[in-house]
Amino acid sequence: MFEVFKKELLELVRDRKTLFFVLALPMLIFPVIMGLVAFLGSQAALKAEQKVHTYYIVNEQNSEQFAERVFYHKSFKKYDGKHQFLSIEDLKQAVQSGAIDVGIYLEADPTQTIEQGEQASWQVVFNDAQSINFIYDRLKSIANELSDSLREQALVALGVDKSKQAAMLQPILVSKVDTADKRENIGEKLGAFIPYLLIPLVLMGASYPAIDLGAGEKERGTLETLLLTPVTRTQLVLGKFLTVLLSSLACATVTVLSMAIWVSVAISFVELDTIKSAFSSVTGVDFMLIFALLVPIAAIFSSLVLAISIYARTFKEAQNYMAPLSMGVFLPIVISLMPNMVLNAKTALIPVTNVALAIKEIVKGTVDYGLLSMIVLTSIGLAALLLAFCVRWFSKETVLFR
Amino acid sequence: MIEVKALQKRFKLTKEHQQKGKSKDVREHDGYFHSVKNVSFSCAQGEVLGLLGPSGAGKTTTLRMLSTALKPDSGQITINGQDIIKKPLIGRRSIGFLSGSTGLYGRLSARENVEYFAKLHGLKGRELKSRCDALFEKLDMTEFLDKRAEHLSTGMKQKTNIARAVVHQPDVVVLDEPTTGLDIMTTQTVINFIRELKSNGTPVIFSTHHLDEVALLCDRICVIDKGVSCFDDSVAQFKAQGKSDELNQAFMNLLQGAAHV
Ligand SMILES: Nc1ncnc2c1ncn2[C@@H]1O[C@H](COP(=O)(O)OP(=O)(O)OP(=O)(O)O)[C@@H](O)[C@H]1O
Ligand SMILES: [Mg+2]
Repeated sequence: MFEVFKKELLELVRDRKTLFFVLALPMLIFPVIMGLVAFLGSQAALKAEQKVHTYYIVNEQNSEQFAERVFYHKSFKKYDGKHQFLSIEDLKQAVQSGAIDVGIYLEADPTQTIEQGEQASWQVVFNDAQSINFIYDRLKSIANELSDSLREQALVALGVDKSKQAAMLQPILVSKVDTADKRENIGEKLGAFIPYLLIPLVLMGASYPAIDLGAGEKERGTLETLLLTPVTRTQLVLGKFLTVLLSSLACATVTVLSMAIWVSVAISFVELDTIKSAFSSVTGVDFMLIFALLVPIAAIFSSLVLAISIYARTFKEAQNYMAPLSMGVFLPIVISLMPNMVLNAKTALIPVTNVALAIKEIVKGTVDYGLLSMIVLTSIGLAALLLAFCVRWFSKETVLFR
Repeated sequence: MIEVKALQKRFKLTKEHQQKGKSKDVREHDGYFHSVKNVSFSCAQGEVLGLLGPSGAGKTTTLRMLSTALKPDSGQITINGQDIIKKPLIGRRSIGFLSGSTGLYGRLSARENVEYFAKLHGLKGRELKSRCDALFEKLDMTEFLDKRAEHLSTGMKQKTNIARAVVHQPDVVVLDEPTTGLDIMTTQTVINFIRELKSNGTPVIFSTHHLDEVALLCDRICVIDKGVSCFDDSVAQFKAQGKSDELNQAFMNLLQGAAHV
């Protein structure tokens, strides 16, 4: 068995393509993802922030004050074309044709409507489909300022002193005190995302070498000779299984390590205090725990892909079977994201889902060690079962000589 | 000494195959394909047995049963008196098997390939080293020992395969179409190798479609047709019964005779 393992490992190490997918990809995937998100995010935000929008105001005379403030705002530029727009329809068309970015329709003069006890309603016409867009917020805050000062004046005119206005406008002030600490809050979101990345990578780390070890041997005609050696089928399967497991774990280790390293790098650069404080409480022990959970998952995947690979006649066939599997692995992870899914004695029994849930708990810092050991035990049990199945398959003529 | 008696092997037909129903082979019934129905032959010390038969006759299936890769449904295989169906591990130790389709591990060197199989056969340390070195010397492999198998020429590969098949010094060597698809030089290597085995007293069983090789090497001939061994005797008897001195003609006559009975 040890000889089989040694030889398979040697072959694996000499295979560049597999090595790339098992080691290099997980090493690169985090910096690439983080870099990409940071770059695109900041670029888009910066662009939206810096962009100057062309505006047109209908009925400027209704609020000279507002028109003046928009005019002097650094993000807005007055439309200087020849056209005249009179209605909301006109503004819509102008925005659609690109003549202006935003049109503002001042239907009434607020200083007059307020005296009649009515609201002045203004319309802002713009395209809100763009994801990052500050137009509406900026115009609204200008209008709010005006609105605030008008209200203040009106209340003073009614004899309400400035200092009493706040209490009058909002007699009850409700504020929340959250018992969830920052780590729990962010961990809930981040911890759900991490299994998405980790678990498929573990599967990938297993499936690449497994294809070669099973179907590859069939295709190259080495399986027949291997079967003729006085090594028992159990030994053969175990040797192969250990190789696949090792590769899968290597993939997981590299992934967790690179995650740990790049997260700390990113934290030292990014000035996001919430994420910083949340992550600074994720300790080395937590990373170890995550890794410990990935081991039984890796064992399950290893025996699963090995069984598939033994069954397949050729490389191609094996790859065809792996494709739906790598899609299917997302299913239990998605289940773990469903509302009300928490780690308990029942969910700890669902393979893969349980690990996804547990990883979330670990990142949140609210993990139950009893459940954790239950997960490890059930996963190992399942892996052993699958492995026994592998051995059985490896002794069946109908599978070996299809 | 190897003896094979009344071997039988059938394969379950796939569902699609059963439903098709056309191109019915006579060996197809009850949802099974009776690939080998009744095959018997024997091969004594120092003898070379040629296994002949049309395509699909069941030669490969028979040889795979000899190699213990497949388990016969019934029948007997004994090597030096040992029943290897009951004790497949003994069978695996005493048989060296090589077929046209057996490959090598491409990313291992020729030496590593041979040594891997030696280790799987339980060889270790100095014994392994000396055994392998002697084989490499004999097969003239020393020049390409450390090249990866995927970069070797067909001839080099076949030499490596041969070394791999006999590294555990088997009692019987079984070859399935060992020369099919090989060039003249490599074919000669295989022929020389069979001769060498013969002079060492190791029985050799090989299947082939080349009758000139049979003329060159074989003491005995076994003809399998549609899963039944219809002839198993010496070459002289083969010519006599086939009513021709030419092996080709004798083979045709024998098959036709079998078909008429
Ligand atoms: N694993 C299998 N499952 C189903 N049928 C099989 C299997 N192996 C062989 N057969 C069938 O058994 C028959 C005999 O095959 P075999 O390979 O033994 O022929 P052969 O005599 O070696 O032919 P050739 O000279 O072409 O190599 C064929 O018709 C083949 O389709
Ligand atoms: Mg054949």
